[in-house]
Amino acid sequence: MNIRFKKGLFRDRWFTVGFFLAVFFAALTLFGPALSPFDPWDMSFEPISPPTADHILGVNDGGQDIFSELLYAIRNTVVFGLISGLVALGLGVLIGIVAGWSGGLIDIILMRISDVFLAVPVIMVLILIAALFRPAPLFLALILAGFMWPTISKTIRAQTLSTREAPHIRAAQQMGGSSWYIIHRHLMPEIFPLYLIGFAAKCRMAVFMEASLAFLGLFDPSRKSLGMMISYAIKYYYLDIWWNWLLPPIACLSLLIMTVTFLAISLEKVLDPRLKDTLKESTA
Amino acid sequence: MSLYIEKLSVLYKENSHAIQALEEVNLELHSGKCLSIIGESGSGKTTLALACLGLLPKNASIEGEIRLNGRPVDYDDEKSLNDLRWAEISIVFQNGAANLNPVHRIIDQVAEPLIHRKGIGHEEAISSAAKILGEFGLGHNECNRFPQQLSGGQIQRALLAMALIMDPDVLILDEPTCGLDALTKSMVANIIRETKDKNKAVLLITHDLEFAERNSDVVAMLYLGQIMETLPSKDLFHSPMHPYTMAMVRAYPAMNTARDLGGIRGDAFYRTMHQHGHKKGAVYRHTHIQSPGYEHESGHAPSTGCIFQNRCTQAVDACRLEPVALEVIGGHEVRCVRHGIVDILSLKGVEKKYGDVVALNSTNFTIKAGEVFSLVGETGSGKTTLAMIAAGVLKPENGKRIFEGKDMDDWIRSDYESFSRKTGVVFQNPAEAISHRFTVFEAVAEPLRIHGLFNNNDELNTKVKEALGYVHLSTDTAFLGRYPHELNMGALQRVSIARALVLKPSLLIADEPTSSLDPSVQAKVIKLLLELQTELGLSMLFVTHDIGLARKISDRIGVMLSGRLVEVGPASLIIERPAHPYTRLLIDSVSGIPPDFPKSQLTLASNSGCPFTERCNRVKDVCKHKNPSLIGIEERLVACHYPLISKNVK
Repeated sequence: MNIRFKKGLFRDRWFTVGFFLAVFFAALTLFGPALSPFDPWDMSFEPISPPTADHILGVNDGGQDIFSELLYAIRNTVVFGLISGLVALGLGVLIGIVAGWSGGLIDIILMRISDVFLAVPVIMVLILIAALFRPAPLFLALILAGFMWPTISKTIRAQTLSTREAPHIRAAQQMGGSSWYIIHRHLMPEIFPLYLIGFAAKCRMAVFMEASLAFLGLFDPSRKSLGMMISYAIKYYYLDIWWNWLLPPIACLSLLIMTVTFLAISLEKVLDPRLKDTLKESTA
Repeated sequence: MSLYIEKLSVLYKENSHAIQALEEVNLELHSGKCLSIIGESGSGKTTLALACLGLLPKNASIEGEIRLNGRPVDYDDEKSLNDLRWAEISIVFQNGAANLNPVHRIIDQVAEPLIHRKGIGHEEAISSAAKILGEFGLGHNECNRFPQQLSGGQIQRALLAMALIMDPDVLILDEPTCGLDALTKSMVANIIRETKDKNKAVLLITHDLEFAERNSDVVAMLYLGQIMETLPSKDLFHSPMHPYTMAMVRAYPAMNTARDLGGIRGDAFYRTMHQHGHKKGAVYRHTHIQSPGYEHESGHAPSTGCIFQNRCTQAVDACRLEPVALEVIGGHEVRCVRHGIVDILSLKGVEKKYGDVVALNSTNFTIKAGEVFSLVGETGSGKTTLAMIAAGVLKPENGKRIFEGKDMDDWIRSDYESFSRKTGVVFQNPAEAISHRFTVFEAVAEPLRIHGLFNNNDELNTKVKEALGYVHLSTDTAFLGRYPHELNMGALQRVSIARALVLKPSLLIADEPTSSLDPSVQAKVIKLLLELQTELGLSMLFVTHDIGLARKISDRIGVMLSGRLVEVGPASLIIERPAHPYTRLLIDSVSGIPPDFPKSQLTLASNSGCPFTERCNRVKDVCKHKNPSLIGIEERLVACHYPLISKNVK
């Protein structure tokens, strides 16, 4: 992708917003523990107290500092979402391209397997696995990825099938380009927008899934998570805590999902030189 | 009565070097025949003529033998030479007026040989001269004028009269038609015929190919002092066997030539011969070809091999090894390592089906090295399928493909990479055939990257710039960094041509390369393609639906209909006198003449009956039941039961 990246990127408002949000969350993820004023597991504070100068977001029902808790929770959610999204993307792209490029029996087998995975209700399976085996969060992220790849591979395969007939790919084949060369130089860049869309969708889904499972209490209760924070906060919704306890995790969750979406949209535009010029001035 | 030339070599000495004008030329000229010597300027044609008369300058050294009527010509004996000249062998020099004395009247000069050589009295000689001049259309008035008072044509007539006045056995004509009007030309043709009828021999030196073909029996092609091919003159235009002959034919503006003139790539002026010590102290005599950019290096190894190799369209490594001897092939004498013009690609019985649809019925055709072959036909006739089978992109269900003498299917299966370096393809729509993510540089560099044919970035840069230079595109950094959507279609198609040529293929396949271009851009791209075809010595398969365009560029045309080739032959013949009604229809349609059949529909390929039946106005019963097979009529093949030209005409 020898595209004039930097020039185009920051002219795009979607990218600018997404980029700063991403930097913000990346910083929180990387430096969260250092930034947090208190140990989030320290239960020595006055339970359910409103924000003060010491406790910016107050203290929760267990006597823990909500701000410190939030920083740790963001870290867990982001890592879970990224790992799950990346693994699903990797699997999806690999299987999609292999199926679409080789065709024939390999294609049929791979696509039937992905149909099987698509038919399984992923949330139910995750709840069952989480409840029965209490696996580590990383393991759960991988299992989730194992159920998310089929939609990516289906779109990638479809696009591969149509792109491989494109004249410039035919031309590269005529020139003697190996399958690897063509996949790597022509096909993968050509379907790059699909990875971004797939990755964004899967990250969103993983972040949401992590929050949901935590909300349902299926993770280790001591593990900090946005979902778990929401779940605890909701129990005390009749108190006036929604803005300092319930809102921050919900806002963070929403912003996380928006970050991924914004970046995906802008990269897709900038990476396609044809879209770049036409969409440069637009806001969509 | 005849002229034999055996192993004639002529060197013009100049200090330590010598110019090699002729090298081991063998020719036989029998009485009642006419032999033409054809060659580029500097090929030694005139030297050959002068050698026959013993008129070479002092610095010429002659080896070999010339025998006139059985007696060898002795170059040292000036007296016997004088006896031969005019009486047994005479010449009409080129450059008319320069050969006549400006202070004598024409008639006196014509009568001079009679007076001095035969000792005939002045009055009688003058009257004989007046008679023969009269036969050549010079009346009393013209005869008494001085050379500068006559026109070029009249001078040529006077010179012919002079050459024939002693009634010689061998007449040498050196460029007799050069600069003459058509009528005087036909008079010269008449004289040649009459001389032949009198059982005398004519040696015609010319570069007028059409004149040579019509008036001589045998043609010898001379290149830098060597005879490249000797062939019957009837084969000159349609079946030459040496690439040099073919290139000369393509360069000649014959009346029925439809295509734009080609040339011979490169340049060669003359050959020098010298000798110097080589490694190990041995002394080599060898020749060099003086061509543009040539510089002599001292102490080098002698150059060997065929002297035409650098300008040949089918040169291979073997051409550089040994000097080549003439060999007899099919009635021609050919000096070629590869035994004459080779077929670069030949397809035998190739077929292609898409599901139940037959895209291509069993088809045979060949592309010769160095020629442009066009496939024409309407949409869906199978042109692209055939072209892609030829390019190795599609695989035929049946049939055999032979590329450069090797089985193409085996080659593709075992080593596609080396095969793909041999063919370049220019695709129909350049905007789609070049990835929109690639810059101009990346697009042209792509084949080099695929094949890893560069050592460092500088070399890659040089090669890409060279290829862009071929197609007259800018090589500055700003242009190299442009994306396809930033270029116009003409420039983009040129990028695509540069990409196809960057690996220096031997066959270029162009699939409707100009169908998305407007006529002015199309003209530029086509001119460029033809120029490259000549300069790089490529063979080209050109696919187009436009028979008018095919006419301008091709040596041979194949007309396709419903997945069959229905007519194949030389472009000039097919355009001038099509034999298949479908070809006629295509030609008429170019100029918008409405067809004279009631319904117009594309018939699908069927195995019974001629596919053109429904649109043909000559259709008979047999056409509906029996599919015509290709038959040969006048140098072409046509598949029609009732062709437009008679099978008997030859």
